[in-house]
Amino acid sequence: MNNKLVINYTPGPTFLHKLTGFTKVFSFLMMTVAIICTYDIRLLIPLLIINIFEIISMKPDYKPIVIMFAITFVTVTLIGNIMLFVVSPNVGLNNIGAENIIWHSTGRLYLSKEFLWYMLVVFIKRTASFASVIAFALATTPSEFASGLNKVGLPYKVCTIVSLAYRTIPDIANDFINIRNSMMMRGVELSKKASLWKRLKNTVLILVPLIFTAFGKVGSIANAMDLRGYGKNKKRTWYAEREPSKGDMVIRALSVVLGLLALYYIIRYRIIDPWPAKMWCPWVKYEDVIQINQIDTIFFMKWFKK
Amino acid sequence: MANKSFGQKLLGVWNTKTIVAVAIGAALFGVLMNYGGIPVFTNTSLTTAMIVPVVVGAMYGPVPALVAAGVGNVIADLLGGWGLWFDWSVGNGVAALFVGLLPLYGAYITEGVFEIKHAIIYMLCCVVGNGVAFGIVTPILTTLFYGGDLNVTFLQALAASLGNIAVEVIIGIPILFLLAKRYKSRTNLEEE
Repeated sequence: MNNKLVINYTPGPTFLHKLTGFTKVFSFLMMTVAIICTYDIRLLIPLLIINIFEIISMKPDYKPIVIMFAITFVTVTLIGNIMLFVVSPNVGLNNIGAENIIWHSTGRLYLSKEFLWYMLVVFIKRTASFASVIAFALATTPSEFASGLNKVGLPYKVCTIVSLAYRTIPDIANDFINIRNSMMMRGVELSKKASLWKRLKNTVLILVPLIFTAFGKVGSIANAMDLRGYGKNKKRTWYAEREPSKGDMVIRALSVVLGLLALYYIIRYRIIDPWPAKMWCPWVKYEDVIQINQIDTIFFMKWFKK
Repeated sequence: MANKSFGQKLLGVWNTKTIVAVAIGAALFGVLMNYGGIPVFTNTSLTTAMIVPVVVGAMYGPVPALVAAGVGNVIADLLGGWGLWFDWSVGNGVAALFVGLLPLYGAYITEGVFEIKHAIIYMLCCVVGNGVAFGIVTPILTTLFYGGDLNVTFLQALAASLGNIAVEVIIGIPILFLLAKRYKSRTNLEEE
């Protein structure tokens, strides 16, 4: 199962691996805020490039990343866009505020330049978000993640849940595979040979022992933690949290700058002088944008009007 | 469970045992999300992960169920490496809160109480919870965060919630009955 996972359980050798947990969590949060708050391709492309450089600098094993990216690409982008084209070919008009039709078939299907632009922007945005998550997952070990979350302000009991869950995943995955194999040996059919109803019923046979073995450990783990004095004080310290190095300070400062830039962008371009449509597009002029209320575009809204 | 106040039933009692149980629930959620799909057609599979909040909710209350599903989803996303989609994580958390409401309407699994009427209320909770989570919360967040088109998101959300409801009802109810039966055989033992 390990070849499938992207996350590291042991810290790696490169610069980004050596940062403290707080730096990683904080910079990831700022990056996520920056990516989520903008639809402007002029900002999204630099963010995407930064994240790709981060991934390259860590010299990872590219195979699982490429496989995952391919799966996400096919399911989200390819199938999503085909659905989009069939269901609402007017997204370009809704989000960009103009429509230059290049191809029109019979019926209500048509392709506009803005539809393609919308596809590109959403693709860049999703890829940037994907790359930032991969960079974070590659750099962070579970203990660092938990200690970083605690320092960001989450109560430490929640952080314990995070690190404990990570730690038990390999065990539970092994249990799951063992139970499934032994059930299959006893003749419980789970593949496509059985009907869907039968597969659902057979899944119960696997899940029940899995749930009992997994939750059966709760008592002993909780007792062991209680005996070691867990949860006695209001605060706790972490093995994984170190003194910040110079590199940490630089990355933290850069993350603050990124967060401030995102804030400035929101205030300047979304509140003070907003672009009339959701997305900026190079060939659409400010005056030509047609404003459309997003709510009106939902198909079932027209049933309520009249 | 029966003698606890409403707030305690809702929030759960956050002692070490609950924390460990929620953590294990989150891990189980992650494992089932990565390995426990039931193939339906090519490329589509029903995820069995939504069983976890049902079990956690039955034993510890709805808010622990929410935390288990939320943390579990984030961890599953990070482990699997397919990117972190907050819109769906939050949606799953909200759905988990609803399916985990069991102790609030008197289904005390740990004391062996789970009857037909509880099963019916549970089914209603599944439908309402998935409706709220994937019909309202996730589409709004998808549009806000990732600029998805509302119509497409509603279609995807419909598919996801139908799959979830099927799993929660068809697999969940037998599991709840089995759990209740198993705990019932132990209820004559009292803690001193």
